[in-house]
Amino acid sequence: MGFVGNTFAIVKKDLLLELRAKEAISIMVFLSLLLLVVFNLSVEIDTENVSRLAPGILWVVFAFSGILGMGRTSLSERDDEAYLNIYFSSVNMESFYLAKVISNLLFLLLMEMFTIVSFVILFDYERLIFALAPLSLPLLLGSFGFSVVGTLFSFLSTGSRFGEIILPFLFLPVVVPILLGGVSSTDIILNGSGGDSPAKWLKILLVFDLLYFCISLILFRYIIEE
Amino acid sequence: MKKDRITKILLVLVLLMLPVNFYLIFQVAPTERIMGDVQRIFYLHVSLAISAYIGFGVLFVSSIMFLIKKNLYWDTLAYSAGEVGLMFSTLVLITGSFWARPVWNVWWTWDPRLVTMLILWFIYIGYFMLRKSISERLKKARYSAIIGILGFLDVPVVRLATKWWRSIHPRLSKEGGGLDPLMIKVMLFSLLTFVVFTIVIIIFRFRVAWAEERLYSILNEMEEYHE
Repeated sequence: MGFVGNTFAIVKKDLLLELRAKEAISIMVFLSLLLLVVFNLSVEIDTENVSRLAPGILWVVFAFSGILGMGRTSLSERDDEAYLNIYFSSVNMESFYLAKVISNLLFLLLMEMFTIVSFVILFDYERLIFALAPLSLPLLLGSFGFSVVGTLFSFLSTGSRFGEIILPFLFLPVVVPILLGGVSSTDIILNGSGGDSPAKWLKILLVFDLLYFCISLILFRYIIEE
Repeated sequence: MKKDRITKILLVLVLLMLPVNFYLIFQVAPTERIMGDVQRIFYLHVSLAISAYIGFGVLFVSSIMFLIKKNLYWDTLAYSAGEVGLMFSTLVLITGSFWARPVWNVWWTWDPRLVTMLILWFIYIGYFMLRKSISERLKKARYSAIIGILGFLDVPVVRLATKWWRSIHPRLSKEGGGLDPLMIKVMLFSLLTFVVFTIVIIIFRFRVAWAEERLYSILNEMEEYHE
């Protein structure tokens, strides 16, 4: 099998595993639901301010639920040192990393869809559903960035003594540009703030994604090399 | 031994420059018309910021070198410079806060430069947390090198993103024409002093750290020998 074949074989394995065990996705989905409830209890959200608060709440939920879920998927590779089987097989580490990024991206997108639907129901904010088409681009770019950094860092953290505890400390400061880009473009799309176009924020997301994807692809092999 | 001599010369130089620098800042530099004496913090604050970036820059380059050469020498240099950078960035945040209170009337504001420095500060806190959580020496070096590289690359992106977000920080380059020529001279001297100062403490920190590394490797060998 070539690079693409290997990559998709691993993605398929991850999806199959997730379909049976439902570990990462259940962590993400329930945490995002819980966070929405906590937000509602701690911040008074009503029909007046919901559209102003929605971008921030959504992206904080995406980041936190996402990072915990991604920690879980790399932990399942660390269990019984399963990833070493891949390391010693003919699969190169770049295709392993790419596969992990793709499967994490899929889990993230699934969680985000679930969060958005829950948000609409819990906060009675139907506008979000109708804005889904223009929102898809920032969601896709933001999630890809989350996945690129999260996949790499979750492998770092699960190899350390502190485990997943350390993951938010590494992940959140680095993804600040994604949070800013995601929140701002979502805000522009939902509220049309100042007649701005979300294009420049999408550019930031794109630059971040490309930069971190290329560098992480090179760096990933140094984590596995035991 | 030639290296030793250079270090000594730098040390003497910095010991002479530091008092002169403080004299210039507090006695020679004119008092700013609007901000008053508080403005003098700025000579230290800007210099400290440059020093912090030097520390993180050295960490970045040594991290790359470590991954290429696989020599713990580079990792030792990386974390020595990282510690120095973290110390200076902490001081930048503190001095900035002292300046902001009388001038902007707040202790903290979400300005791009402040946010960038704060985010960097968090990234390198994470860097040292990760180091602490791994006991195997080479793994520690490899993992932290990855953070050292990715963390530093974040600087321009965070900077750009936060700049679009909001900005009230005084812009040096644009207001440069308004600064008193004497102020600019004091500023430049302060910058130079701190650059030399940073280099000297990175060298000294590195030498202690490298001596520790060698000591541990000798101890390890001895243990293996006894077994």
